[in-house]
Amino acid sequence: MRKGALPRFLLLVFAWLFLSFIVWRVSAPFLVWPVTLLSHAFSAMFLSDLVNGVEQQGSAIIFLTSLRPAQATTTISASGLLTVEVDTLIYTFGLPLLAALTLATRQPRSMRTLGLAYAVLLPLETWSVVAQFLKDVAITAGPGVASQTGFSAWQREVIAFAYQFGALILPTVGPAVVWVLAHRAFLERLSGRFAPRPASRQA
Amino acid sequence: MLRFFALFILIQGLLFGLELTPWAQHWFVMPWTGTLARTSAGLVKLFDPSVLAQGNVLQSTRNGFAVSIEAGCNGIEATIVLLAAIIAFPAPWKRRLLGVALGVAAVQGLNIVRLISLFYLGQWDLRIFEWAHLYVWQALIMLDVLIVWLLWVRMLPALSSVSEPARA
Repeated sequence: MRKGALPRFLLLVFAWLFLSFIVWRVSAPFLVWPVTLLSHAFSAMFLSDLVNGVEQQGSAIIFLTSLRPAQATTTISASGLLTVEVDTLIYTFGLPLLAALTLATRQPRSMRTLGLAYAVLLPLETWSVVAQFLKDVAITAGPGVASQTGFSAWQREVIAFAYQFGALILPTVGPAVVWVLAHRAFLERLSGRFAPRPASRQA
Repeated sequence: MLRFFALFILIQGLLFGLELTPWAQHWFVMPWTGTLARTSAGLVKLFDPSVLAQGNVLQSTRNGFAVSIEAGCNGIEATIVLLAAIIAFPAPWKRRLLGVALGVAAVQGLNIVRLISLFYLGQWDLRIFEWAHLYVWQALIMLDVLIVWLLWVRMLPALSSVSEPARA
């Protein structure tokens, strides 16, 4: 590895990170749109008894539930049913980091790689969004709402773990892992590792 | 590479699950978070005497502004990710332990910088505080983990000396 390659790479990462954060914030409603679709599809398949619909407002995803609010302070829809809003920015802030790391590698077809990496992260972001929705209705909203969901005690434990994992680990680790996987050759040059090859035979 | 990622995800899941147990919360997470608050307050007091730490709360006695250090802010999750990456990577155990010691110091050191910066950003502008707290510092901490891990990997002996048994 050339001396100074890592510091140069890091300088580029910081430069791209600044720009990426701006682009991410401005384009968040567009970037989040597939997550809304996936959340809607997941809810329709597995949570159809709880969720009537999934909508997007800006960068927020709104779950329209079939649950009755238990308290006057709970957010309700025009139909008098509970709605749950999830701020997707707190689960997608890894995208600027991913973009900065990808662009700083200065590899050919970096935009294509970035597009693929973005697609790979969509299910992870959907996990975080749906887990927060489930945590909100099964735990945070209180016993009046939780009892309507029909989740058992162990299911609430699983939801709590899924939420914590989706909030604290996936948003940061997901982009880093995807970047490492997509840039093995670059990392091999940077560190001299990652792709151990069988020893070549000597003539 | 596949083995590394499988181990990385497994170790990370185990450590994260362990962190969430009431036992770990009581005996490790809460005391560690309190230590972080006291350390941050101790450092800030070097140049600003109007700061005190109560449990996991860092507070200014001048204007009453306070930050509470919660899960996700104490650097434990970032440390878990680094630990999993170091343990999962093929390397001699001595090097792993050295990597863990230096890596934890690097991550937690930057986390203290983060806490102190957020404490002052919050007193200056709450919108910027929110932005830095929820998005920017999260990304920077993960970048720190990645850099520390890459540096550790670079410092390892050559792959052949890791995988081959020592010669008599």
